[in-house]
Amino acid sequence: MTTPKSHAQLAERLRARVENAGILDAELRVACVRIGAGAGAELDAPHRELVATIAEASHRVTDAQVTAVQEALGSDRAAFEVIMAASAGAGLRRWDAALRAIREASDEAG
Amino acid sequence: MRLAEVERGDSMRHRMLIRLISRFAGYRLPDAARVAFYDKSFAGPALGEWTQKAMRESSSWSVSERELMAAVVASWSSCPFCVGAHGAIAVRGVEPELVSAALADFRTAPLSDRLRAALVFLERMMTEPDRLSAVDARAALDVGLTVDELEDAAAVAAVFAIITRNANALDYEIPTADEFDRAAVMLLRRGYS
Repeated sequence: MTTPKSHAQLAERLRARVENAGILDAELRVACVRIGAGAGAELDAPHRELVATIAEASHRVTDAQVTAVQEALGSDRAAFEVIMAASAGAGLRRWDAALRAIREASDEAG
Repeated sequence: MRLAEVERGDSMRHRMLIRLISRFAGYRLPDAARVAFYDKSFAGPALGEWTQKAMRESSSWSVSERELMAAVVASWSSCPFCVGAHGAIAVRGVEPELVSAALADFRTAPLSDRLRAALVFLERMMTEPDRLSAVDARAALDVGLTVDELEDAAAVAAVFAIITRNANALDYEIPTADEFDRAAVMLLRRGYS
């Protein structure tokens, strides 16, 4: 019988997959996660423009932004990884903040 | 859908599945399902497993309450695909008028105090994550939520912070209302992983 996984465990599994799997250069993929999470990282245009838009206002992403990344990296799979890494960075940033807040409140309550 | 390979499938098996499911269902397989089929060696399976846990596994929140949270989170991300898809599931367990009211303004919608308190926490988590603190969590716990309930709600919001960004960045095609309703039946039956 397997032990049910917690949300925290599943979040870490996702983080590990995004940072360690895939076809992109690991440094590029981790930079997408970091910028997706609102942190600093070195990332060339056009990747930076797409990733920052996904992080801040994903509904404003344009065809041209996605096409520019697809053409720069040479495949749909690579462009997909950029998009997924940026999105995961944004989601995990929020999860980390929520978990920290909940645990602090829980600890305060004793 | 902005990436052709994601739309058509990245293997013969997935291309056949997409065609077969679309034919069987009688409508174009939604882009969310095409993304779930795509690039299984990357992050998709891990995201699917967490989404399944958040949306379908044991929780004090009902499936419809979690789907309503997902739809409201999607509205904050300006994601029409996810608002439509998850609103269509929520109305199978919550009055449609209540879903509409929550999407319009969850603060004034006639929701339970605990659901409203969870959404207050989730709104700050989504829109001002750097300002989220123990004070926000304490406010939700003071209304009567348990730590587990607040974590479960936060997990729904976290996975939909990811899913809505994928949907918007890839420009998912928006199904008709009837197609959303039919896809809701499939998602209720099959889940997310």
